Amino acid sequence: MIASANRLRSAGWLVLLGLCVALVLVLAFRVNALRSQIHRAEARIVALKQDKLYLETEFETRANQQQLKVWNDVEFGYAAPNSSQYLEGERELASLSMPATANAPEPIRVASVDNAVLATAAFPAMVSPLSGKAMASDSEVLDSEAQMRPAQINHAEAVVTLKDRLGTVVEVASRKPVRAETVSEKERAQKAPLAKRPEKKVAKAADAPKPDKAKAKPKATVVADKSAAKKGKTTVGSRPAARKEAKAAG
Amino acid sequence: MNALTASAAIASGRVRLANVRQRSLVEAKVRVLVVAFLFLLTGAAALTRIVQLGLFEEPPERRSLAEALLPPRGEITDRNGFPLARAFPVYALWYNPKALGAAGSSLVKSPEEVAKALLQIFPDADYTDLVKRMKSGKASYLRRRVMPEEANRIFALGEPALEFPRENQRYYPQGSLGAHVLGYVDSEGFGHVGMEQVLEKQLLDPAQRGRPVELSIDMRVQGALEDELGRGMLETEAKGAAGVILDVDTGEVVALASLPSFNPNRSDMAYNDLVFNKVTNQVYELGSTFKPLSIAAAIDAGVVTDLAVRYPSDRPLEIGGFQIRDSHSFGASLNVPEALIHSSNIVTAQVADKLGGARLKSTMAALGMNERPYIELPARGFPLWPRGNGKAGEWPRITTMTVSYGHGIAVTPLHLAAAYATMVNGGVWRPATLYKVDPAKAAEGRRVFKASTSARMRQLLRMIVVDGTGRSANAPGFRVGGKTGSAEKPGGKGGYNRTSLVATFAAAFPMDKPRYVVIVMLDEPKGTAASSFQRTAAFNAGPVVGRVIPRIGPLLGIVPDDSRDIDISDLSPLVGNGEGE
Repeated sequence: MIASANRLRSAGWLVLLGLCVALVLVLAFRVNALRSQIHRAEARIVALKQDKLYLETEFETRANQQQLKVWNDVEFGYAAPNSSQYLEGERELASLSMPATANAPEPIRVASVDNAVLATAAFPAMVSPLSGKAMASDSEVLDSEAQMRPAQINHAEAVVTLKDRLGTVVEVASRKPVRAETVSEKERAQKAPLAKRPEKKVAKAADAPKPDKAKAKPKATVVADKSAAKKGKTTVGSRPAARKEAKAAG
Repeated sequence: MNALTASAAIASGRVRLANVRQRSLVEAKVRVLVVAFLFLLTGAAALTRIVQLGLFEEPPERRSLAEALLPPRGEITDRNGFPLARAFPVYALWYNPKALGAAGSSLVKSPEEVAKALLQIFPDADYTDLVKRMKSGKASYLRRRVMPEEANRIFALGEPALEFPRENQRYYPQGSLGAHVLGYVDSEGFGHVGMEQVLEKQLLDPAQRGRPVELSIDMRVQGALEDELGRGMLETEAKGAAGVILDVDTGEVVALASLPSFNPNRSDMAYNDLVFNKVTNQVYELGSTFKPLSIAAAIDAGVVTDLAVRYPSDRPLEIGGFQIRDSHSFGASLNVPEALIHSSNIVTAQVADKLGGARLKSTMAALGMNERPYIELPARGFPLWPRGNGKAGEWPRITTMTVSYGHGIAVTPLHLAAAYATMVNGGVWRPATLYKVDPAKAAEGRRVFKASTSARMRQLLRMIVVDGTGRSANAPGFRVGGKTGSAEKPGGKGGYNRTSLVATFAAAFPMDKPRYVVIVMLDEPKGTAASSFQRTAAFNAGPVVGRVIPRIGPLLGIVPDDSRDIDISDLSPLVGNGEGE
């Protein structure tokens, strides 16, 4: 009996030992498996970093200073900034909104519609760079004669057209009007002696006709253009021209 | 007898049969045992190996991450960390004539056809050379660098003899930009010419090469300088051009260009005459740009205390049978500010004469004009320094006078840059360096001028640009100050060649608090429509400075400002008409 119990115990120890060895082995295998996983991950990191280096170098090469210069010469035409493009600090920034003093020139106001501008401006018709002919948003209403010569503008009608356009836009957009002057406002402004504005302001206001607003609602614009064209005094092209001028001024 | 023998025979046969069976059984058992033992041994060996591998063996070719990413040659970057030179695995085009076996033709098509196809991929390749190489039957490089898409196109030709081994080469993403600063690495892996040569050990040292070396160069500024210099050079049909932009407080070289340049990416073609660095290696008589230095020396020594004092300038100064002339007459007399504005040799020579050779010489020596320029580059030219008389090497009067307006002494443009930096930064000379320097840890340097002298010189330099010969460099809002210099090159009749000039413009900006010195030099410019048919610096080098500064100023943190400038109101009444040459 004792002998069998002893044998059983020693066998138990052996089994336990075997179990421990097996567990250690399993653990060791797992550790090494993980190690090789790390190794694989590292190899992948190396490969990716080298890829990154390769792509970065390619980017640097394609966008090197000489290449950028060529692109700038041909495409972009960026120039170094000048002093008017910098503000020194809060003080200079604040000085821009100083209340006007006694004899100071009136502050320049942008994004306003000034009919005096349209009265003096004669926008040349937009010419297609391909055909060399005048471009129109609605070609069917343009007669061949109008295509050949710069559009002559009847200023009184042009004003009406612009007003129509803005008016249409505002209606469609159902927003607050963007300083679209009504006829009564215009009359009031003409009567008031203060309405006379300095030349500089007039030049800036040329950017005013909010081309983007008009663009946002093409349907309304086309209608306005048609109405203008039907009156025989076309202003077609004045809108892109105005935008071009705005760009040049900017 | 017969029966007996027969029975015996039968009996013995039976015994033998039984024996044989027994023996066979034993033998089979032994064999099974042996095989089983062998199986066991193999199994045990396999298990041991597995356990050994699982427990102790490291994965094969195990390298640490850092080691794998360590470049074979360290990277060089500019001051903002943009790579200027890096080790880069590239494809090469290798011709292996044995790719189709030793016998027969090495190419599928004829060499001429293959060469034609290659010419379509590389339009700059040499057709006859390609044909010759492919016909020679020797393995060789057809091209050292091939872009991946080009490699794909070559692969599409279907020629097994054209191979693309991937090789680690030095690559310069900016091409020829800053070529003289960087240098190049030859096919053997040795650096030449620029910092590649200087940093050779560091770039190859495994302990250090993982960290990029930061240079003081600003790639964008270097690009702008090279671009404008190149334009100026082409417009005036000059032989060459050189330019350097130096930080006046730390001595860092922000840009250094010597044109025409070379392409370090083509190491096979890089070694030619163009590797010669005009900024650090070539010495020139830089002419009138020396006048402010001489005047500064005179003000510093107390020789010129009153800037209103007038000096005769109506006739050439005769000294020892030598005549000192001006380009044209500026009137009966000029004071010092006017002399600088009009660039009068006669008045400067008189001031230098009053100062004396010894003091002018010591100032020039303190500005480092008697030794090679301080910079890390290996190519540094030794100035032509007037030897003087006697043991002490005293300069005779004529030497003092000519040196005062930049003749009889030849230095590199870098010498001039360091001297101008000294003149405007408060009077401290510092060695130029190509390493990025922490402003707080700038070299101590040595004091050459008093701070008051430096302040006065800033005013005078600004006046030259506002009223005088330097007007073409007056970039609006950048408060530029500087001096033109148009020196005749040695040679020809009377020691100097009147038609070949070296036109230099030395400028600093912004003058109310100088930060950078810009030196632009054109070698033998011609009078073209772009330079109003003039050869002097005011018409060729000056406009280059005037175009470079607005481009680099904002990049270097200098904002153009029309509302500020250095105060020159105390000097402007001294200048009569303000008309320059």
